[in-house]
Amino acid sequence: MKNHWWKALGVIILLYTFTAGMLLPLKPGIVAVNPSAVRTGDTVTLSVQGYNTFFTQSKTPVRAWLKLDEQRALAAEDIEVISDNALRVSFDIPAHLPVSRRVQDFTLLLDNDVDGASVLPSALLVTQDSIQPERGEALWANSPITDLHEKSGITFPFRNILAETIRNTYFHVALWFAMLFLFIGGVISSVRYLANNDLNADYRAQAQTTVGLIFGLLGLITGIIWARNTWGAGYKFWNLREVDVKQAMTMVALFVYLAYFVLRMAFEDAERKARLSAVYNIFAFVALIPLIYVVPRLTDSLHPGSGGNPALGGEDLDNTMRMIFYPAIIGWTLLGFWMAQLYYRLIKAQMRVDEG
Amino acid sequence: MGLIKETLALMRKDLVLEWRGKYALSGILLYVFSTVFIIYTSFDEVEPKAWNTLFWVVLLFASISAIVKSFVQENSPRQLYYYSLTNPIAVILSKTLYNIGLLMVVSLLTWACFALMAGNAVKDNSQFFLALFLGSVGLSITFTFVAAIAGKADHSATLQAIMSFPLVLPILLTLIRLSANALRLEQDSSISDDIAILAGIDLLSLGMALLLFPFLWRE
Repeated sequence: MKNHWWKALGVIILLYTFTAGMLLPLKPGIVAVNPSAVRTGDTVTLSVQGYNTFFTQSKTPVRAWLKLDEQRALAAEDIEVISDNALRVSFDIPAHLPVSRRVQDFTLLLDNDVDGASVLPSALLVTQDSIQPERGEALWANSPITDLHEKSGITFPFRNILAETIRNTYFHVALWFAMLFLFIGGVISSVRYLANNDLNADYRAQAQTTVGLIFGLLGLITGIIWARNTWGAGYKFWNLREVDVKQAMTMVALFVYLAYFVLRMAFEDAERKARLSAVYNIFAFVALIPLIYVVPRLTDSLHPGSGGNPALGGEDLDNTMRMIFYPAIIGWTLLGFWMAQLYYRLIKAQMRVDEG
Repeated sequence: MGLIKETLALMRKDLVLEWRGKYALSGILLYVFSTVFIIYTSFDEVEPKAWNTLFWVVLLFASISAIVKSFVQENSPRQLYYYSLTNPIAVILSKTLYNIGLLMVVSLLTWACFALMAGNAVKDNSQFFLALFLGSVGLSITFTFVAAIAGKADHSATLQAIMSFPLVLPILLTLIRLSANALRLEQDSSISDDIAILAGIDLLSLGMALLLFPFLWRE
C-alpha cells in the first residue's frame, strides 16, 4: 500500500471531480431578452428569460435595472413575474440619452433575494433619434443600483453562450495540463536514458509519451465538441480556414509526437532506437515551447486567451471552479502516470517475451 | 581554439566536395526553376498574397532536399574516422554553418527566379532580406539536426520530412507573417517582436542541437 497511495489518490480526486463538476448547479442567469433593440422615447416591455432562476419564490419583489455605466442606471417602472423563469419588465426610455453615441447598449441587471444578482451585458440596444447629450443629462432619472443580494449555496458561474458547458473546463482544460505533464515526464525519462544508458528509462519515456498522446487526442475531441456547442454547429475542425489556432497548434504538437513513434518504428536495434528517439524527444519538446507562444499571437481566435477573449483567471474561473479545476488537473495527471506505469510494465514484459 | 579550426576545416571539406560534384546546388536550382515555371504558367498573374505563400513553400521544399543529404553522404566508416579525429560539436557546427550558407544561396536564387518569372512583389527590401536571413538560419539549424537523426535510418528522406515539418512550423508561420509585412500585405507594428521571436527560436534550437549532438554521435 505504501507505494500505491498515489493511484488511490488519483481515483478519489477524479471521483470528486466528476461528482462535484457534474452535479453542482449553475448560478442563476439571464438567457434572452426580447425585444433587444428599441428607440428613444419609448416605453418598452421586455420579456426576460431566466435560467436556474426562482422569481416566484422571492420574498422581496424582483428588481431590475438598465445599466449605462458605473454611475448611471435606469430602474424598471413595472415588473410582472410570470413564472420562475420568465419576467415582463417595463422601462421608460427617455427621449434623449446623456451620451453622444447614436446607438447605446445597456446591461440588464436583475436582483431578488433567492437568486441574487444576475447580469446580461449588451441586453438592449437603444437608438437615439437625435443626439443631444445635454438634454439627455437633464432628462436622465438616475436610480443607483444598491443592496444587491448574494446567492447562497455553492454554484458555478453562469456565462452567456457557455452556460452548462462551462463544466467541460474540468475535462478539456485539465486533460491538456495532464498531457503536458506526461510529455514533461517523457522528456525527463529521455534525459535519464541518455545519462545512464538504461533501456528501462527509454521504455518509460515511450509509455509516458503514448499516454500523453492519448490525453492530447481526448483534449482535442472534447475541445471540438465544446466548440461545436458554443461557436456554432457549423464549426468544423478540419476546415483550416476557420480552424481555431490553438487547436491547429495542438494538431501540430500531436504530429510532432506521432513522428516520434514513426522514428521508433524505423529502427530495429533497441539501443539505437532508444538513443535516437531520446534525442529527438528532447529536441522536439524544446522546439514545441515556442509554438505555445508564437502561434496564438498570429491570428485572432474565438478560443479563450486570444483576440480579447478571456481565459483562465479573471472572473471566468471563480473560487468554486478552482476548488474543482485544480484537483482535476492533479487527478488526471496521477491517472495518466498510472496508465503510463502499466504500459511501461507491458512493454517490458513484451521485450522479455521477444527475447525468449 | 581547436574547435574553430576543426569547424573551418570541416566546412572547407564540405565546400570542396560540393564544388567537385556540383550536385546539390545544380539539383536545387533545377527544382526551384521548374517549380516557379509551373507556378508562372498556371497562374496568369501571381497576386502578392499567393506570391508570399508560394515563395515560402517552394523554399521549404528546396531547403529540405538541400539539407537531407548532409549526413547521408557520410558513410559510417568515414563517420568513425571523424569521430577519432574531431570534437562532435565541430561536426554539427560545421554542417549547420555550411547549410546556413547553402540555404542563403538557395533562398536568394529562389527569390531571383520568382522576381524573373512571377514578378517581384517585395516592397520593403531590408525587411524581406532580414526575413530570408533569419529563415535560412532557423531552417538550417533544425533541418541539419533532424538530418543527423534521419541519416541513421534507411528511408532517411521520408523520415526527415515527417520529423522536421511540424518542428519548423513556428519559424515558418512567423516568417510568412514577417514577409507579408515586407510585401505590404498587412501593416503591423509588432514586427520587432516577430524578429525577436525568430532570433530566440534560432538560438534555442542551436543550443539544443549543440547539446544533444554528442549523444547522436556515439555509435
